[in-house]
Amino acid sequence: MNPAEEIKQLFPDSVVSVGHQTNKPLAIIKKEGLLKIAEKVKEMGFDNLSVITGIDYGDRFEVVYNFLSYTKKQNLVLKVVLGHENPEVDSLASVWKVADWLERETYDLVGIKFRGHPNLKRILLPDGWIGHPLRKDYDMSVDQFVTVGEDGEDIVSTDGSNLLRR
Amino acid sequence: MDPLTIDTTKIKMTKKQPVTALDKLNDTGLISTVLAAREREGLILFSTIDQVFNWARLSSLWPVTSGLACCAIEMMATAMAHHDVARFGMEIFRASPRQADLMFVAGTVTKRMAPRVKKLYEMMPDPKWVISVGSCANTGGPYHESYSVLKGVDMIIPVDVYIPGCPPRPEAWIYGIIQLREKIKNQGYGAKWGLNK
Repeated sequence: MNPAEEIKQLFPDSVVSVGHQTNKPLAIIKKEGLLKIAEKVKEMGFDNLSVITGIDYGDRFEVVYNFLSYTKKQNLVLKVVLGHENPEVDSLASVWKVADWLERETYDLVGIKFRGHPNLKRILLPDGWIGHPLRKDYDMSVDQFVTVGEDGEDIVSTDGSNLLRR
Repeated sequence: MDPLTIDTTKIKMTKKQPVTALDKLNDTGLISTVLAAREREGLILFSTIDQVFNWARLSSLWPVTSGLACCAIEMMATAMAHHDVARFGMEIFRASPRQADLMFVAGTVTKRMAPRVKKLYEMMPDPKWVISVGSCANTGGPYHESYSVLKGVDMIIPVDVYIPGCPPRPEAWIYGIIQLREKIKNQGYGAKWGLNK
């Protein structure tokens, strides 16, 4: 049996639907059941959380978890659909350690908050960056520039007068 | 003809003239005012200070070791033996900008890297030149509409030569280097006043 259907049998209340995404078993789940399903998925042998993706569809956010099992040679995709206002979902950093950085990346670029994350701050962009650039409503008309402060820290500002050539 | 019966006395031996350093200078055309020093019985040559300085500068450009993206791989290929940038006296990629007078901006200049690139440039002693390599450094390239990439490195530092390509092949790099040498050759008041060749 494919692992997505196995999850649906174990957690019938939390799974919205099952299917396939590019030949990988896919389960769309409710965000309330994510943490306990994740623990079960880890027990099933999915030892590698390869990537977390956040997608902005304009009216909703989707968080996609791609799992891989080295022992079973299997893939599994979990998807959580979130509302567009204040998207928040449980952190998986307690189950897979790699989720720490992957969730920070998703937070950085898409702005999805992960509840219970040990250190939820930006990972790629400097701390003072305004907005989350992979969102559909990100303001591209304003250029943000980075300068280096006295202690080597990055300072973000919209005026690039001390960086650009006069 | 039977090779064993060649009369070796009929073969004329021509002695090749040794090539002097002066001949080499004359061949390059850089020092155009080299007078016939041999007739003057001594190595006297007249030139302008500009010409001598420009010749010295363009013959030993030392680039700073800095690569930002995949163009840097082509930079390494240019420096390696097959394309051999050492022919231009610039094989010594300096690890410190204080010892370098040429900077290749080889790759994508992100907003976060931009102040560092500017700082590297400012740390280089005068005279200094910049070659912008690849679409990213020239205009932003494929990332022109990105939130995080500078739309051309000439927004922050002056650029002497632009090399297009994504990434440019080593031949293009060498062509760009030759263009920079031409530019350095014509620097200074000597060239402006028509004293240089």
